[in-house]
Amino acid sequence: MDKAIIVDHLIKNFEVTEKKQGVAGAFSSLISPKKKTVRALREISFSIKPGELVGFIGPNGAGKTTTLKVLSGLLYPTSGFTQVLGFDPWDRNPKFLKEISLVMGQKNQLWWDLPAIETFELNRAIYEIPERIYKESLNELVDMLDVKKFLNIQVRRLSLGQRMRLELIAALLHKPKVLFLDEPTIGLDVVAQAKMRDFIYDYNKRCKATILLTSHNMDDVVNLAKRVIVIDKGKILFDGELRELVSRYAKDKIIKIYLSKESDIKQLEKIGKVKKIDFPQAVLVVPRATAAAAAAELLHHFPVADLTIEEEPVEEIIRKVFSGEVKISEKQ
Amino acid sequence: MKKYLSIFKISFAQEFAYRVNFIMWRVRNVLQILLVFFLWSAVFTNPQTELFGYNRDKILTYVFGIFILRALVLSSRAVDIAGEIARGELTNYLLKPINYIKYWFTRDISSKALNLSFATVEIVILYFFLRPTFFIQTDPLQIFLFLVAVVFAVVMFFGLLVLVNFVTFWLPEGGWASQFLIIVIFTEFLSGAVFPIDILPEAIQNVLYALPFPYLMFFPLQVYLGKLSMTATLQSLLISGIWMMFMIVVINQVWARGIKKYSAVGR
Repeated sequence: MDKAIIVDHLIKNFEVTEKKQGVAGAFSSLISPKKKTVRALREISFSIKPGELVGFIGPNGAGKTTTLKVLSGLLYPTSGFTQVLGFDPWDRNPKFLKEISLVMGQKNQLWWDLPAIETFELNRAIYEIPERIYKESLNELVDMLDVKKFLNIQVRRLSLGQRMRLELIAALLHKPKVLFLDEPTIGLDVVAQAKMRDFIYDYNKRCKATILLTSHNMDDVVNLAKRVIVIDKGKILFDGELRELVSRYAKDKIIKIYLSKESDIKQLEKIGKVKKIDFPQAVLVVPRATAAAAAAELLHHFPVADLTIEEEPVEEIIRKVFSGEVKISEKQ
Repeated sequence: MKKYLSIFKISFAQEFAYRVNFIMWRVRNVLQILLVFFLWSAVFTNPQTELFGYNRDKILTYVFGIFILRALVLSSRAVDIAGEIARGELTNYLLKPINYIKYWFTRDISSKALNLSFATVEIVILYFFLRPTFFIQTDPLQIFLFLVAVVFAVVMFFGLLVLVNFVTFWLPEGGWASQFLIIVIFTEFLSGAVFPIDILPEAIQNVLYALPFPYLMFFPLQVYLGKLSMTATLQSLLISGIWMMFMIVVINQVWARGIKKYSAVGR
């Protein structure tokens, strides 16, 4: 199989009933409910090779989670073709379900009143994992995520970060070949986020798993995904290497200078947008095309001790893509 | 099969996590039996009294029998289905290679096993306090028919409960109301859990026997008490079996439509 996931002209519409405000509104929507069609996905197409780790990014309501749900068989597509590991997800064939996992940051499967180990045992039975393999992968996962001491504590008494790591174990015990991660680091602190990221990276490498990840956390995307798919309003705006996204949309360069003595800062404004001044350092943003000229001018007119020209940080570019500061043309 | 055995075990363990809840439920059951017991023993103060074909022994056996049957037929966990659908937790199950209906049936069986073991202990204690005289059925055929009727009742009640809970697919807020109406009102009063059905006027009885409710508690007990002729027993078993099959078919169909609806809303 040369493609793990194939999505072709996928459309998904939702029917929602509009509820009006207030008592009169509630009454009128009870009598004649107004139906509205929300077009969550408008003909998206992409494919993913086995073992690839792809970041799926876009603002809230772009259609990321909807795509993941269609791919894991939770949603019935309005039209279009989807195939995961050779299966039609909606059939929810047990063989298919044993090969995939969907982890949603806001949904939990662990039994709230019992220690996590009980849910793991249950999943062992549900996924029919042989005892020996179960022990192996449990030990491995517990070590990697460092949760040994939480296994026998009631889930309700754990912190969010501890619980999320255990959720991940519950989702991975059956060693899925395809993993859908929806906001896996949501609500976690910086240290826990880093742990989670290391783990995802490692799991992808070690198990040759295909991973499709959505996140609002730029660090997740930048650190994990080589390829990204940018989606907004149900349409794919970009599909390619993260590097390419950056070079295509990095319209500016950043010039950092160290001044040897105080000088008229107002004059700097004429050369580029001053982002930060913290004497002796100053940071300027200039258009890519004129970066060299700007640097020359700076050296010429200012007492510059040191000067570097840098690329814009990836996070900044993606942020601009989201906020619409740079317009992304549709996929060619 | 092993799958469902594990579900049985974890479900059992979870019942114990809600100890207070469980104990209160048992206390409620004991109070209920005491209430009905004293009511009927007041009616039958004179051991010679016979009303509606019941004498003191038989009515008290009926009351204790209902107690056991409650644990067997009416104790259930499937009432949680509505909440799972409304909160979107159903998603977790849809992602797994597991049959949701069988999953809940297994959890129901586990709940019944736990309740039955407690009910047995309670009944022994109550027996020593109240010292009623029991009617013991000795005919093995009658006992066998009784057990068949109980199995039918268990499956039928499960089907009824699941069906009522599946209302949530279409009316997310409707789960509780329909559960209250069907389970609390109809089941309690029309199944014979509070009073034997045959004390009602015949016209009403005839209507009731066409419905599934009497076959949940009243009919199995009648078989145990040996109050029905063989023809009547087999005829009722047939009706109850048809209701059971009907429930199985209907819940599977409603389920198939329900998850499509569930997915259309996109919870």
